[in-house]
Amino acid sequence: MTELTLSRAETKSVASSIAEMRRFEILKALAIFALVAALPIIVHDVYLQNVLILTLMFAALSQSWNILGGYCGQISLGNALYFGIGAYVTSMLFVGFSITPWLGLGLGGVLAAVLAVVLGYPCFRLKGHYFSIATIVIAEIGLLLVHNWDYAGAALGIQWPVGQDGWTTLQFARNKIPYFYLALGLFVVTWFVTFFIEGSRWGYWWRAVRDNPEAARSLGVEVFRSKIAAAAVSAFFTAVGGGFYAAFVGYIDPDSVMSFRFSLLFALPAVLGGIGTLWGPAVGAAVLIPLTEILRSYAGGSGNGLDLIIYGGLVMLVALAKPDGLLSLFQLMGRGRST
Amino acid sequence: MRVIDRREVFLSAAALSLIGARAFAQSGAEVPVGVIYPLSGANAQIGVDARHALETAADIVNKSFDLDLPTAKNAGLAGLGGAKIKLIFADHQGDPQKGRAEAERLITQDKVVAIVGAFHSSVSATASVTCERYGIPYVTADSSSPSLHKRGLKFFFRTTAHDEMFSIAMFEFLDAQRKAGRKIDTLGLFFEDTIFGTDSSNVQRKLAAERGYKVVVDIKYKSNSPSLTAEVQQIKTANPDVLLPSSYTTDAILLMKTMDELGYKPKNIVAQAAGFSDKAFFDAVGDKAVGLISRASFSLDMAQKRPSILKVNEMFKARAGRDLNDNTSRQLMAVLVLADAIDRARSTDGEKIRDALATTEIPGNRTIMPWKRVKFGADGQNVDADPVLIQYVGGQFVTVYPAAVAVAEPLWPMNT
Repeated sequence: MTELTLSRAETKSVASSIAEMRRFEILKALAIFALVAALPIIVHDVYLQNVLILTLMFAALSQSWNILGGYCGQISLGNALYFGIGAYVTSMLFVGFSITPWLGLGLGGVLAAVLAVVLGYPCFRLKGHYFSIATIVIAEIGLLLVHNWDYAGAALGIQWPVGQDGWTTLQFARNKIPYFYLALGLFVVTWFVTFFIEGSRWGYWWRAVRDNPEAARSLGVEVFRSKIAAAAVSAFFTAVGGGFYAAFVGYIDPDSVMSFRFSLLFALPAVLGGIGTLWGPAVGAAVLIPLTEILRSYAGGSGNGLDLIIYGGLVMLVALAKPDGLLSLFQLMGRGRST
Repeated sequence: MRVIDRREVFLSAAALSLIGARAFAQSGAEVPVGVIYPLSGANAQIGVDARHALETAADIVNKSFDLDLPTAKNAGLAGLGGAKIKLIFADHQGDPQKGRAEAERLITQDKVVAIVGAFHSSVSATASVTCERYGIPYVTADSSSPSLHKRGLKFFFRTTAHDEMFSIAMFEFLDAQRKAGRKIDTLGLFFEDTIFGTDSSNVQRKLAAERGYKVVVDIKYKSNSPSLTAEVQQIKTANPDVLLPSSYTTDAILLMKTMDELGYKPKNIVAQAAGFSDKAFFDAVGDKAVGLISRASFSLDMAQKRPSILKVNEMFKARAGRDLNDNTSRQLMAVLVLADAIDRARSTDGEKIRDALATTEIPGNRTIMPWKRVKFGADGQNVDADPVLIQYVGGQFVTVYPAAVAVAEPLWPMNT
């Protein structure tokens, strides 16, 4: 009897300490977001602002990938399909029908989520590598279709009109700051979505599905529906990111938004930073994106490929030395301090 | 700890290369000109070749040469007190987003007065908009998508022909042959299924209808096809007066081989460059292609009519180890056209250089190209950038059209 009450008290204290940790996590996140939001005060160079925007955008997109790939364990290498849908829906509505990109972002997201559910039905019957291969193939089919779709500009792509600047058109001439806050906003939203999922029943289910689907099912977890839900959330935010990218660049063609390269670029920051963690994608993107951009710009003009050698070398280094991702480095240091 | 050390080593390496690039860009009081090409990735070779061509052009501007080309005679730009142009290269990897970011970096950090690029039409699409926003001229040497000059941009200029102009030149050649009393009634279209072949055939189909030619066979085939036997059978049955193929190298070789195997000798072939003007094509099936005519942007034998070509080609060859071709000749000429405008503008102000470009008038014989002249329309397109038609005879290409640069009469028909 006493044992039972003790364990109840223990459970209670564990639960309250988890809640406390999560409150602390939110405070930490808000502090980090505030610091990042203040960056434009010191960064005036438009090129560096551009690097910051791309970093935040890929952090958000990788966080979206992480929801399905990291938390639910379904490694998708076809998220470029959803990215492309977002970019194309936003561009076609704006260029063809003068519909504000804001609506395009939402519609593209919904369309991508619906498609993810439809595609999920056949694909989630596949396990592990077979699922990953299926996602690659489906994304390639999407790329081919858009390549041959004359109404969407086929291989010629879609050019956004020049000169209609403002918040309704998401075009800002030389000003990069609005894009910076849009990208930051997208990342903050994906972070909070991930955070709330992590603490919800769905979050526990998804992680159970990742760790052992058979055991999860035997405990009453809805494995199939978990995968479908994770895929839909992931696709939605990936497409919103695609719409943002189209507005940011002002021109899209099939290869510049739907090539396999993008699918890898969504997965890589999460893998590098720490897969299935809250901050992994952001840490990965913060290392990876400035590195590739700055190396290409300042070492790539020679045409000797030095930038790519350094880049490839670094990725190999992380894979060998820290296969859990860069985030495990911090956790190790934190643990060292506390003991 | 070990990891941190490696990281530090890497970071200092990155910082060093960064410092190197900055010092390079800021030495001397030169006129900085931005250049964006794919220097890594799938099309890196294009960028490497372009670099040789553009540096040759910068040499022509900056040193004194006895060449009848814009800004060649005196060292540097006379209009700016002999100032030299300095090319600053950036790598766009064929990605429109990177092209845009690099253009922005060149303008804001390196203070370039103009940008030349970019091979990929998609990159020219974004980089030119960035230039427009900063009031800096963008000169494309080789992006040929017809949509580029139709966007109402004020700072966009294209020295080369766009894709529609290429097909028009081919039909003007056919019209000329007709006028000379040769029988051309029927045409055959044969094209691969990617953007290149599809676009090419669309324009050709339209032109054929407008100019009264009957398309008797119209074949779209899967590019890199393992067999073209069925397609060649169709062509053989229809036996058009002129076959107009649009194919890349491997398909072009297979087409000629299959025709030979099936004992079909086409009356005439007028090809849309690409595979049919590739050296690999003639190494493989040159004996079967005698009399084949291809569209091209450049041909070395024009040197008989444009004497500067030989000397410029020698200079280029010393750097690149190969002759000028369609791409490198156009890239080289674009820098000379831009330098001529900066020279006349007597200023490094973007708006003034733009105005000077808009009033450019360089006669064809002061270029290394087959063009009538360089003169931009209000949309920035050089309307007189005529391509040439070259014919494969005696183991080499001979320019046969247009008359201004032709060195021989075409062999017609190809096979009797």
